[in-house]
Amino acid sequence: MRSKLLALVFAGVTVLGVKAYAHHSFASTYLEDQRITVEGDVLQFLYRNPHSFVHVEAKDASGNTVRWAVEWAAGGQLGSQGVKHDTLKPGDHVIIVGSPGRNPDDHRLRMINITRPSDGWKAGGKFD
Amino acid sequence: MTLHKISLPLAVLLCASFPALAEIDLSGSWAAINHEDALERGGGPSPADWAGIPFNASGRAKALSFSQSTISMPERICWFQTQWHIAAGPFSLRMWAVPDPITGKVVAWMIGAWETRAPMTIWMDGRPHPSKNAPHDQTGFTTGVWNGDELIATTTHLKTGYIRRNGAASSDQATITTHFLRHGDLLTVALLMDDPVYLTEPYILTRSYNLSTNPVAIGGPPCITGDEGVESGTVPHYLPGKNPFVDEMTKVYGIPEEAAMGGPETMYPEFRDKIKNKFVMPAKCKQNCGN
Repeated sequence: MRSKLLALVFAGVTVLGVKAYAHHSFASTYLEDQRITVEGDVLQFLYRNPHSFVHVEAKDASGNTVRWAVEWAAGGQLGSQGVKHDTLKPGDHVIIVGSPGRNPDDHRLRMINITRPSDGWKAGGKFD
Repeated sequence: MTLHKISLPLAVLLCASFPALAEIDLSGSWAAINHEDALERGGGPSPADWAGIPFNASGRAKALSFSQSTISMPERICWFQTQWHIAAGPFSLRMWAVPDPITGKVVAWMIGAWETRAPMTIWMDGRPHPSKNAPHDQTGFTTGVWNGDELIATTTHLKTGYIRRNGAASSDQATITTHFLRHGDLLTVALLMDDPVYLTEPYILTRSYNLSTNPVAIGGPPCITGDEGVESGTVPHYLPGKNPFVDEMTKVYGIPEEAAMGGPETMYPEFRDKIKNKFVMPAKCKQNCGN
């Protein structure tokens, strides 16, 4: 029983470790203890490794158009969650919650969750 | 007497049928045990956390100039992970032997690739390393020798890579020595980074793996460049004295800056005594609190 429990914990740690991996350091790239919301239209969806990206065009507080690069999971990881290369299309209106990048000039986010109001589609982790 | 006559040739025959050295089979799928340095190997280290890295002044200056946005430049997305990534990344290993088709002797040991790390070919046939002027790449050139049942691999001809994914770099003059030690179903891999350009002495990491019946991919999914939001034509960096995260470890964890900036003395336990009066326990854990 004990060995089965240890094996389960080990398997979980192994899987989680790989899931959390970034080709760069998340902690060094993003302010992980913060979150912001961006609402706009999808420009392109890069379904790829080492990480997928969703590019979204949105208005900032001053009304200027800003292009956000939203980092998501690797293609294989998204595939296992049912997200395919054509799940998101240019022009889709989406609401994205994420952790902002440390360099504000990059307009980057690390995806926490994404919602497409037109059909109620959601993906990501926790939805508030 | 007759028994002696038989047993001597038998002993010679038995000895001849085994390798002269105490080699050990390393082939198989080795599952990474990722609770070792989980933060560093998973989500990645905090910025300006270089404690324990034996930087010289150049290594520290190089690290302080590094911006994470560099790795999102299209030409560098798949760029900076050398064979050191075996130690610093979270991935499992797939190892196999390559036999000579005529003699059956092992001419090379292979370690499969993963995304941004190329496969590692450990040449066992005694070939020399190329000229120091030969091209360098992320893969490098690796030869191996057996020391009893321990395989020791030496990798040279690397391009610039990373030691820690927050700007700590290795140069193209670096040598990685990798020790493979198998104990039953457990594999310990000890990697030593010697770098005359950025380090004062070797930096050592060890990793452990469990033999697994779940096959580890021989070649991981490919790294594909793409637009990660960094504008074309820009070179992200911080000028000397301008790194905004230099006090991050002090603000978040109360760790003195002289520890976070690395250097050879930060590798050793005695350093704790030196800074113990400078450490201030944070009133509240703000991040990576283990929950």
